[in-house]
Amino acid sequence: MIRIVIMRRPDAIGDVTLQLWERLASELTSIIGDGGFQSLYARSVHLARVTFPWIVLNQPAMPTVAVFANLKKCLEERDSTLACEASITLLNIFIDILILLIGELLTTSILRSAWGDDAVNIAGTELQ
Amino acid sequence: MHKKVIIKRLPTGVPGLDELLGGGIPEFSFNLLAGTPGSGKTTLAHQIMFSLSNPERRALFFTVLGEPPLKMLRYQQQFPFFDITKVNQSIRFVNLASDLLEGDFERVLARIAAEVQDFSPSLVFVDSFRSVVQSAKAMDAGASGLQHFVQHLGMQMTSWQATTFLIGEYLAPEAESSPVFTVADGILWMSQLVHRDAMVRKIQVVKMRGQAQSLGVHTFRIGDEGVEIFPRAVLKAGTTEPLQISGDQRMSMGVPKLDQMMGGGLPVGYSLLLVGPSGSGKTVLATQFLAEGVRAGEPGVIAAFEKSPNQLLSHQLNAMVKNGDVGVINTRTLDLSIDEILHDLVAMIIRMKAKRVVIDSLSGFELALASVFREDFRESLYRMIAVLTGMGVTVLMTAELEDRYTVLRFSSYGNAFLADAIIMQRYVELEGQFKRVISVVKVRGSDHSKDIRFFDIARDSIAIGETLTQYQGILSGQPTSSLHPDPR
Repeated sequence: MIRIVIMRRPDAIGDVTLQLWERLASELTSIIGDGGFQSLYARSVHLARVTFPWIVLNQPAMPTVAVFANLKKCLEERDSTLACEASITLLNIFIDILILLIGELLTTSILRSAWGDDAVNIAGTELQ
Repeated sequence: MHKKVIIKRLPTGVPGLDELLGGGIPEFSFNLLAGTPGSGKTTLAHQIMFSLSNPERRALFFTVLGEPPLKMLRYQQQFPFFDITKVNQSIRFVNLASDLLEGDFERVLARIAAEVQDFSPSLVFVDSFRSVVQSAKAMDAGASGLQHFVQHLGMQMTSWQATTFLIGEYLAPEAESSPVFTVADGILWMSQLVHRDAMVRKIQVVKMRGQAQSLGVHTFRIGDEGVEIFPRAVLKAGTTEPLQISGDQRMSMGVPKLDQMMGGGLPVGYSLLLVGPSGSGKTVLATQFLAEGVRAGEPGVIAAFEKSPNQLLSHQLNAMVKNGDVGVINTRTLDLSIDEILHDLVAMIIRMKAKRVVIDSLSGFELALASVFREDFRESLYRMIAVLTGMGVTVLMTAELEDRYTVLRFSSYGNAFLADAIIMQRYVELEGQFKRVISVVKVRGSDHSKDIRFFDIARDSIAIGETLTQYQGILSGQPTSSLHPDPR
């Protein structure tokens, strides 16, 4: 599902990724707080950097807006195929961790709120 | 046109809590769930929230700086009451950490108001309120700011027609918390107490405006299902029909000769204390008591604290349990409260329509209690017997009596006075043998035999023998025959 959304406009990978993250952050931050969201994001970047070491590591206490701007920038500096894969991987890792911590049902419910009904099956299909 | 306002009480869905609250949480009330860390405040709040919320009665759960919300969601969903389908539909979690970090109460209030306006909840929770208090202390606003915040929040929430719960971590009632305590319509205090390695959880309704709450401290347990409260057993006047214990109505003990000794059996609704040393046949007699009940169509319940299930169930008792004529409450954990046991007992008595109850034995019962309750054992036992006999059941309690031939005692707790009737069993040394003797010491308001008689235990039965009239010094344990005086 994430792949479908991202691959729909590979040329606009930066914007699409930014939009997905902003909507997810908005929903999730209201529930687990900015601190909770940022620590999950930092962990996801750390894991994603095993495959894509060029994904930017952020400084602690950086506002979420700046974090996403950095991500967008570093994706746009890469070849679009590679950037798409990196973006998909990062989101998948993030959702994986969320599922591990709060379960698939609750994660799906949050994703649905963030991304609309398109997200219904993301947790179930994309991450197996 | 003089109709008074009727306050609706919302059933909390927490077993035992509504009874404590006097029927439920008053609608639109402003409540404080306070207590020590780990005492189960968040679990209780979630249980109430998930139970009460539905699409028509939505809930907002604000998290502040306490337990990280991610962890809270992770752990709380282990409880069956955590219905994930309600999340984001009927229940919304909102984190206020960033609003509070600025330290501005007005901003927090504005955020809460905006969220409440947006979601229109009927239930609002703020967890942990303590964080707000601490933040207030660190700031110039201090206690007066806090008072303003709480008063404003209380007013706002009632105006928005929301029943509100502030969840706060307090080690003890503190001066700084007094504004909160004054404004709150209801205060639930939760604590946990460790005493000699056993932990006991307690809950108290300190205040509940507009209704008669159940006073005192009550025990509760957090199990797989969540919080379960065991309201402290007190005999409530008027809740049951006036009970007539006339003494005329008797029930058989299952041993005809013993019935004769008791003046025609044990009066219905009495509590009987059966004392005797180890192995003297107390459990066998208790089994006869239950078996006779089964024969007479009177189901029974046995609370067995003495032995493990396999040891306990004699063939005869086992058959009765299997047939569903006798219910067993079997527990050997050592952290129970008397109210927890009574709660189970009462539930089983009602379910089985039991008429006869056996507690075997008081010594085992005392051991099964968490150590902190043992100090109040006598008082607790008094309450328990009052509740059970108040239900109209007849109670037989066994107590182990250390055979001290120089002292005559009927119970090691000094609580023989609690019993309406007492039967004593003991050993005497006679002709090179330990012989068992039995005597009816007391049957309140009734004639009874004063004899001391031999008795024997056969398989699943008790045979009462001759009186020991020709002996003297029986209670010394070494009787001598008055016909053939001891040559010594």
